[in-house]
Amino acid sequence: MTGKENENMLKIENLHVRVAGKEILKGLSLEVKAGEVHAIMGPNGAGKSTLGNVLAGREGYEVTQGSVVYGDKNLLELEPEERAAEGVFLAFQYPVEIPGVNNTYFLRAALNAQRKHRGEAELDSMQFLKRVREKLAVLHLKDELLHRAVNEGFSGGEKKRNEIFQMALLEPKLAILDETDSGLDIDALKMVADGVNAMRSPERAFLVVTHYQRLLDYIVPDVVHVLADGRIVESGDAGLAHKLEEHGYAWVAGRQAPAEAVAGGV
Amino acid sequence: MSAPLLEEFGRGDAREREESWRYSKTALRALAQQDYAVADARAALPDTLLEQFDWAATRGRRVVVVNGVFSEAHSDISGVGASVTVGESAGNAYSIRIDGDIERPMHVVYANVPSAQSSRWQANVEVTVVSGRARVIEQFIGAQGESVLGSLRRRYDLADATQLDLVSLCELPESVAMYRLVEARVGAKARLHTTHVLLGGRLQRLDFQVDLAGSEARLESRGVFALRGRDHADTQLDVRHLARDTACDVVWRGVADARARGIFRGAITVAQGADGSDAKLSNKNLLLSSSAEIDTQPALEIYADEVKAAHGATVGQIDERALFYLRSRGIPLAVARRMMVTAFCAEALAGIGDADLRELLAQRVQAVLPAE
Repeated sequence: MTGKENENMLKIENLHVRVAGKEILKGLSLEVKAGEVHAIMGPNGAGKSTLGNVLAGREGYEVTQGSVVYGDKNLLELEPEERAAEGVFLAFQYPVEIPGVNNTYFLRAALNAQRKHRGEAELDSMQFLKRVREKLAVLHLKDELLHRAVNEGFSGGEKKRNEIFQMALLEPKLAILDETDSGLDIDALKMVADGVNAMRSPERAFLVVTHYQRLLDYIVPDVVHVLADGRIVESGDAGLAHKLEEHGYAWVAGRQAPAEAVAGGV
Repeated sequence: MSAPLLEEFGRGDAREREESWRYSKTALRALAQQDYAVADARAALPDTLLEQFDWAATRGRRVVVVNGVFSEAHSDISGVGASVTVGESAGNAYSIRIDGDIERPMHVVYANVPSAQSSRWQANVEVTVVSGRARVIEQFIGAQGESVLGSLRRRYDLADATQLDLVSLCELPESVAMYRLVEARVGAKARLHTTHVLLGGRLQRLDFQVDLAGSEARLESRGVFALRGRDHADTQLDVRHLARDTACDVVWRGVADARARGIFRGAITVAQGADGSDAKLSNKNLLLSSSAEIDTQPALEIYADEVKAAHGATVGQIDERALFYLRSRGIPLAVARRMMVTAFCAEALAGIGDADLRELLAQRVQAVLPAE
């Protein structure tokens, strides 16, 4: 295990992605090491959500160029469920309501499918519930949510906390948070941040996608990237997020590619 | 060409029959083109069929009908108690009379057993609930082989203030076709709760007509069809509100994969004078393949005053967003699809009080999709 924290967990090179015939990512490159928290910031329409979706394996995202290596695997060749079992987790910007599928049943099916894929023993319902209760407490979620259908009738905040609860339960190696802070009040934001911070470890990496700097006051990133027009245009330490807050995204676009910014705006 | 079978199968005049068979005309014609021998009532039941119905929970309360004929050898009604009388008359006609509560369900099995050539059978069954509350589980099964065409007419007569819970599972192999006509009459303050599950079959047709004949009579009809391969299932439900303050609540779900064909027509008529009636119908359908087809047709005719009526019917596809959500958590595609199908049909099975039975039906329904 020695030196593991210095290995690349995720290496994205020159990634081009088309959605519905339109190129959204235009040569994105990014390296994430185990133990690191990377924030991806950027204006609306820059491709932030596309990045999360393409890493999780959503259909309709066509990779036309570039590569994504996760550990020693070509991530793009894996089915979404294989990516999950290999430790990739996407916290959805818009968690999906699934009427008729019980939350507990869903979570246990998910956890055991992943364990089975990894050759680990499946958890029985007692072991499973014990683990669930521990994680619920961290997110201040009520037991009652377990008995409902997946996300059905959950408030916006409950849905987002439920995503982080699932992350805590599934213990991924690479967690991608897609605008988990959007629509959250300050208390819910803190709960989400507590949930993430509790899970920070040398073996785990986070990709925190956000539009605002606010979440990064609570989840302090190691690296901040600015994504604009399908590429990373600037990277820096946590201080970069504050500069962005002060100057807006136009400032970065202007620094990186003045001619384009003048021509196309942001 | 299909005229003889069309005359035999269905209700109403020639035009009504023609209309009600419009989506299944070709399938019926194919059946009519075959020659049939009379099905062998003494045919031995293959072990695969015996296993399907030999439930420990219903031993001693089981009636087995093989190719339309009551089977002494396989039936055992030693445990039904004094409140149930099973009678038999000539010409494959039977009656079941229920007088007084029966705590545990009667299990009535209709087995289709093939002969060396195409064969067919017919039977008539009358169930009368004179008093109390009764539970009946019907099961239609069949063995693969030469084609069998079964035809069963039943009457359910619910006296005033009685209650019948009927669960009907019809799971047929592709060589078996069945026509079922169910006519029910529900008396004042009586309640009929039915759950129909239709699986498989070259052609299965269910004509289900319910007369809410006494005031405050009530029908809750639940149903699911789950079809694959070239299965073809056609349900025609007719509910007639004939008295004041009657109510019906219809919830049906349909799922079709591969080249299967499903039809659901739900017609509710509120007759003149049936004031204060309440009619609800919901029919939702899920297409799992681009070659599958489902036709749904809700119909409401109201001739009374102060009636509450609501109906809705949809045909859609599996929610890809939900499917991706499940997969993104590590659930394999085949399992995720089965979960979605189970969830889709859950509302129609929720009314079954017996959890084991509910689970059995849910499992049979989700088996419409391959496991891996």
